[in-house]
Amino acid sequence: MFYTISRRNILLTSIFIFLFSTILLGCTNASDEASTSKDDNENMLTIAWPRDVGAMNPHIYNPSQLFAQSMVYEPLVSYGIGGKLKPNLAESWEISTDGKVYTFHLRQNVKFSDGTSFNADIVKKNFDTVLNHMELHSWLGFLSKIASTEVIDEFTFKMTLTEAYYPTIQELAVVRPVRILGEAGFPADGDTSKGVEKAVGTGPWILDEYKQDEYAIFTRNENYWGELPNVEKIKVKVIPDAETRVLAFEKGELDLIYGEGVISLDAFKQLESTGKYETTISDPVATRQLVLNTTRETLSDERVRQALHYGFNKEAMVKGITSGLEESADFILPTNLPYTSDIDVESIDYDVKKAEALLDEAGWILPKGKTVREKDGKLLEIEMMYDSAESIQKAMAETLQSEWGAIGVKLNIVGVELAVQVQRFKDNDFEINFFSNYGAPYDPHTFINIVAKEGFGFNEAISAYPNKAEILKQIALIPQTTDEAERQQLYTSVLTSLQDQGAILPISYIKKTAIYQKDVTNFNFSANRDENPFTGISIK
Amino acid sequence: MGTYIIKRIMSIIPIFLLAAFLTTGMIHLSPVDPAEAYLTAAHIEQTDEILAQKRHEFGLDQPFFMQYINSIIKICQLDFGISYVSNKPVWDEVIHRIPATLQLALGSLFLAVLVSVPLGFFAGVKKNSAIDHFSRLLSFFGASIPSFWLGYILIFFFSVKLDLFPVEGIGTWQHLVLPSVTLALPLIAMYTRLLRTSILENLQEPYVLFARTRGIKEKTIMAKHILRLAISPMITGLGMNLGKLLTGTIIVETVFSWPGFGRYFIEAIFNRDIPIIQCYVLIAASLFILSNLLVDLIQMYIDPRISRKEGQQR
Repeated sequence: MFYTISRRNILLTSIFIFLFSTILLGCTNASDEASTSKDDNENMLTIAWPRDVGAMNPHIYNPSQLFAQSMVYEPLVSYGIGGKLKPNLAESWEISTDGKVYTFHLRQNVKFSDGTSFNADIVKKNFDTVLNHMELHSWLGFLSKIASTEVIDEFTFKMTLTEAYYPTIQELAVVRPVRILGEAGFPADGDTSKGVEKAVGTGPWILDEYKQDEYAIFTRNENYWGELPNVEKIKVKVIPDAETRVLAFEKGELDLIYGEGVISLDAFKQLESTGKYETTISDPVATRQLVLNTTRETLSDERVRQALHYGFNKEAMVKGITSGLEESADFILPTNLPYTSDIDVESIDYDVKKAEALLDEAGWILPKGKTVREKDGKLLEIEMMYDSAESIQKAMAETLQSEWGAIGVKLNIVGVELAVQVQRFKDNDFEINFFSNYGAPYDPHTFINIVAKEGFGFNEAISAYPNKAEILKQIALIPQTTDEAERQQLYTSVLTSLQDQGAILPISYIKKTAIYQKDVTNFNFSANRDENPFTGISIK
Repeated sequence: MGTYIIKRIMSIIPIFLLAAFLTTGMIHLSPVDPAEAYLTAAHIEQTDEILAQKRHEFGLDQPFFMQYINSIIKICQLDFGISYVSNKPVWDEVIHRIPATLQLALGSLFLAVLVSVPLGFFAGVKKNSAIDHFSRLLSFFGASIPSFWLGYILIFFFSVKLDLFPVEGIGTWQHLVLPSVTLALPLIAMYTRLLRTSILENLQEPYVLFARTRGIKEKTIMAKHILRLAISPMITGLGMNLGKLLTGTIIVETVFSWPGFGRYFIEAIFNRDIPIIQCYVLIAASLFILSNLLVDLIQMYIDPRISRKEGQQR
């Protein structure tokens, strides 16, 4: 008896000691994490990001985060406010009159973070490496048109295209995959699609310390050729949950939270209302649109599409749902993008009477005592698909259901997962869907490109447009134009026609938000949607 | 006893095969094609040829039975495929995230046992006393508060307001406190009630009266007789909850930015990273099976009558 008891005691004690020591062992590898960022370094900016910064490979996409890639790696050309394309690693460039040959004069005295020199050889090596994996990069228009890359001299790089493609310079500003990795970053076989050796770039930041899923610390590149950032370090804490980000910010563990949808609208408004923090809202980065599928019988009639547009109070809906963080949109693309400011579309103001008149005219009559319009015994019933994880889309769908219900349109709303939403859009298996364009530096050319592309969703959705063939023809011409005026005229024509016939309905301009502690100053959003905003920031 | 153990271990095999069957079948039930999910995650433009090539590579063009057999063979070699997002072997991605999850799960288990044993014991022994009422209140809260909400509340009070613990992250013992409490509270609620009921039942047993008449000290009766027998249902509960602890970490890891497997699983779901999802489901299933086995063995060790009973039934 005594023997068994003591054995049992030994067993239980051992289990407890094991459990306790295992837990503590996990803690012994303690970092200095507990202390807040400021205590460690006065000139360090701490931000939160929902995901780990990723592999820091400039030539690959997920799971690398765009903002982090843009801190370390630089493009030949950068995208400025209003779509102005500015020299970056290329000091200047020339384009041949046929629009096929691009000659870049590279910036001299630029060093990679490991001290090696930046030159035309490394630019060519980067481009050739990327071109070896075109299956990954076919989305980026100019890459598939590159016929050859050439080193002219140490600081001159030439790129020849198979055909003229005007967005080339603009596309060079994207964060991936055409930013420049230093020689030491290339693996032995030179194939970066499997990974890079080291994150070596020419950018203003160097990845200094990294703990996967926990944090990354970037240090200022003291040998940076351009404007040196004001803060010395940036710590990126990985906090996947939006509410936790808010709590960490309130506690002072974070200096800044910025981005799109990184905290809930309610939390943003609540923090702003305390007056304890500073906030900034960006210029429009994209337009939230509704896409009406004209291959569906009800929506094939332009009068019905227009009636839906007249039939809801866009201004009130956007303001109410987004608490003013988005702005009611009049155009299918934000007008701060190149070639988009000159669009002359018929302005559509909230007008229930006009909506009803248009529906009557289209033959959809509201029978006495009923709430849904009918035509030849068929109810005016439309389905709207939204991303169930997106609270704004859901709230907008519900508002439209009620607003359109008042004009006799029965809107059935269906929440689906994002992957399903994309798939159904592609399969033309929808009636009304939400979409938003990519923003700078991808648009406007990428947007009109996907409108024309078969199997993406738009091409099929605008099938009832009588001038669809003409629109597609104009879209095909745009990238090849070498004449600026002609290009502008084509853009104006395409965008006006797409919007006027009502299959793409602008709802709101999406904006980025930033909230930061009072001691953070000079925060400005970058014009490039994917670029980091850290260079000018200071901490008092 | 040896036969019993072997029998129990053998019974794992069909359950494991069923779990593997379900994870393989999962692909076919999902509306998303794994080949498409891969191409989307890898940022590769989808064409019919590339889709067909990927389907062939993933073995999706084979009959379901063959897919199942192949996946069993691969699982036995710990080959769960390649993550669609990171392009690295799933096992490598998973294995370095498991220690953090285990640390959290064990921390919570430790806390749950540390709190619920004395609380449940005294609540049972001193029925309707203040401690009993307190344990009841705690159990109501523990059982009804959703863990994500509890997590936020704890962060708000103990981190933001009182500045006792960090909001998120991992590293020191302070980081472990709030997530462990969040994960442990529902367990404390359950075990406390379980132990209390069991103590009350045992107090009515004739052996207690017999012991008292023999003049054995009340303390000895309580500690060496009642607690020893009453703790048995709690151990069963513990075993059943080991698997639950792993799945419970999903929410807690997300709320507290704990870099474990649960949080990674959530990301995998959003990214449609099917091999990671399959691996997670299989590991969770295996943990459920193994923890049940472990509990059976511990039970048998504590109370050898169990194996005898089993022997008689067979």
